[in-house]
Amino acid sequence: MSLRPRRVDFDQTWATLLQTVKGVITFGSVARSTWNDRFSDVYALCVACPEPLGDRLYQETKLFLENHVKSLHQTVIESNKENLLTVYQQHWEQFSKGSSFLNQLYGYLNTTFIKKQKYSDADLNYGGFTVELTDQMLEIGELALDTWKKYMIEPLKQQLLGLISLEIESDRHGSCMNQSVLHGVITSFVDVEQYKKKLPLQLYEEIFETHFLKETGEYYRSEAAKLRDECSCSEYMEKVIKKLIEEDVRSCKFLHASSHGKVTHECQQRMVADHLRFLHGECREMVGNEKLQDLENMYTLLKPINGGLGVLVKEVEEHIKSFGMEAVRNLKGVDVPAQFVESMLEVHSKYTELIKKVFGTDQQFVGALDKACATAINYKSNPKTPCRSPELLAKYCDNLLKKSSKGSSESEIDDLLGSCITVFKYLDDKDVFQRHYSRMLAKRLIHGQTASMDAEELMINKLKQACGYEFTNKLHRMFTDMNVSNGLQEDFNVYLKEGPTDLGLNFSMLVLQAGAWPLGQSNLPRFAIPQELEKSVSEFEKFYNKKYNGRKLTWMHGLCTAELKMNYLKKPYIVTMGSFQMAVVLMFNETIKVSFSEASQHTQLGEKEMIKQVQSLIDAKLLTTEGTLSTESVFELNMSYVNKRTKFKITAAIQKETPQEMEQARSAVDEDRKMYIQAAIVRIMKARKIFKHNQLIQEVIHQAKARFAPNIAMIKKCIEALIDKQYLERTQNSTDEYSYIA
Amino acid sequence: MKMAVIDPAENEVNKNIWIAVGTWRWVANDDNCGICRMAFDGCCPECKLPGDDCPLVWGECSHCFHIHCIVKWLNSQQVHQLCPMCRQDWKFKE
Repeated sequence: MSLRPRRVDFDQTWATLLQTVKGVITFGSVARSTWNDRFSDVYALCVACPEPLGDRLYQETKLFLENHVKSLHQTVIESNKENLLTVYQQHWEQFSKGSSFLNQLYGYLNTTFIKKQKYSDADLNYGGFTVELTDQMLEIGELALDTWKKYMIEPLKQQLLGLISLEIESDRHGSCMNQSVLHGVITSFVDVEQYKKKLPLQLYEEIFETHFLKETGEYYRSEAAKLRDECSCSEYMEKVIKKLIEEDVRSCKFLHASSHGKVTHECQQRMVADHLRFLHGECREMVGNEKLQDLENMYTLLKPINGGLGVLVKEVEEHIKSFGMEAVRNLKGVDVPAQFVESMLEVHSKYTELIKKVFGTDQQFVGALDKACATAINYKSNPKTPCRSPELLAKYCDNLLKKSSKGSSESEIDDLLGSCITVFKYLDDKDVFQRHYSRMLAKRLIHGQTASMDAEELMINKLKQACGYEFTNKLHRMFTDMNVSNGLQEDFNVYLKEGPTDLGLNFSMLVLQAGAWPLGQSNLPRFAIPQELEKSVSEFEKFYNKKYNGRKLTWMHGLCTAELKMNYLKKPYIVTMGSFQMAVVLMFNETIKVSFSEASQHTQLGEKEMIKQVQSLIDAKLLTTEGTLSTESVFELNMSYVNKRTKFKITAAIQKETPQEMEQARSAVDEDRKMYIQAAIVRIMKARKIFKHNQLIQEVIHQAKARFAPNIAMIKKCIEALIDKQYLERTQNSTDEYSYIA
Repeated sequence: MKMAVIDPAENEVNKNIWIAVGTWRWVANDDNCGICRMAFDGCCPECKLPGDDCPLVWGECSHCFHIHCIVKWLNSQQVHQLCPMCRQDWKFKE
């Protein structure tokens, strides 16, 4: 067979071709050789001379397809109503497959004759067409589908839709017979326009989806109303969830993938969003009683609804808050710090768990938990007094890190400290915590009460992680000083060995850098050092001044401790006490009785301090006196002192926190805050030059947030102070604006 | 160094160990460093922590600066190394 164009008799060729076409479209059997011959016939027609007959072939084929589909349509509508869908589906199955084969048979016509006239993709996408696209020629396969659409779907659509609705309705009641038919019919709406480049789903959406969504909506509206009448809220939610899942499965079963989301949305609207008020109304009670299953359901339902979760989140927040507040208000009895921290952690971990389990750690709920915890932790029993939480937390850490803390293992301590950080992160007044923490750390270090340096450092690193370098740098410096002091001590020991002097006692010294330690430098009590120690003091000062230039050493006698050996008793006791106590006790090396005034004169201690020291010795039963202690008292050694332990401390009374110390810490915090705020204002103003009052306040609050929540009055005072110091001035043309004075 | 307890008299109280605590601060003729104008109790602008890592030095003219500040100043001087306060030749005080 030659490929050369030749004269072809159209009618004759078409007649034979038609036979095969019929066979193909009805999916009958066609022999391979016949197929090949007909393929050549198509070719021959297309290239026939003198005139190519492609156009005519196309028209004839089109006519044939129209007639074929029309006759199919007849058979479909003649079938009885129950079978209509099945019949339609069968014919469609056959037709769609047949047409794809037909398309191949007409391969040459498609590629040469029709492609040329088609619009390219670019034309379709970017060309502003006003011409009806249906006018153009289609490939034969497409032509077949288009014909099906025109002569089958269009006239039949009302009937089809009605039947589909019925089928789906019965599926919803759990009795659908022929799912594959239904699926086939619905997909025929999609497939029939699949070839279109633009809006391939248009037909499906127009004739089927819109209608279906409306019906679904109606159906579930009435279902929901029915359920509302019959069920309690928790049942309602369960049933709705079940229905949603079922409907989801159903849409996967029958519908095109593009509809799934729309169907789900429609169902949610009808069954959840329309009943939002009802559901929200139930939230409070569910949260209050912590009905986990109900809450989980509620969350599942409300989550996809726009603005649905707000009420639930709020309720959860309120609930957690009320629990936290309850715990904070009920703090009393012994060991308040532990109670506070532990109850807060309990609330926190309980609800973290709950949010994880019920709400899948949804960020909105985590946020609610954070807010609730912050409110509870920063709760003030009295709005005028500062919040006690930072102090309590610091005290709790102190107890953990001190020696003899119930002998917890290292990893336990580690965990507990970690949980302290959890609470710490919620504190508004982090600076207050830092104050107290550093004060307690100083005591631990100076009095050697630290249980483990590793644990101490761990905690500081945790704080650093949470709050940054600046927050902990003073704490770090305290550690450095301890190390420096150790080195110094060794040097001093070497110095002593080389020198001729013997101090007569085991002397060790901590030299701390004044600025880094929270030790009051002012109003140190007056104190004359016992002469037994004078040599140590002068030797060390000599040593120190030789080693360092330009440094002034101040002795903090209140913080010194001494270990004394009591040889006057039946057994020798070794007692650790403070320097002031020691000074009093050492007087008894000379005499048997000491009067108050003698002691005062000897030690130079003030009256108040003296009473405190002597009282502590009397309480420890080392000294005796008649009656209550007064400035007239005379005291003597208790010669019949007995203690089970031969080594003990009586420093506790002296080292105990005094209310004044707490007070001092608080006022120091206020001073620090003022400085911090002023620095912040200057920084801001230096950058902005001119700034509005309100904006300035906002900015300061923002900058201070990581450390504390500043109050507005304090910021205003700081602004005033800076105006007085001529860092700022009010601008002339506006009352609420400041400018920076360079 | 452990002190031995010598045979004590009947009513003797022996002091054994004394752990003393003291604090130190710089004693300078001024509150601020004349170069960086930062307090001597603080550190120079280059340092983060005051204390042993950012010490003070005195010149023979008795003026005192952060060591980092005065070294930087001396390095920037081409001809004579003068004290920035009194313009005398700068010599570190031993």
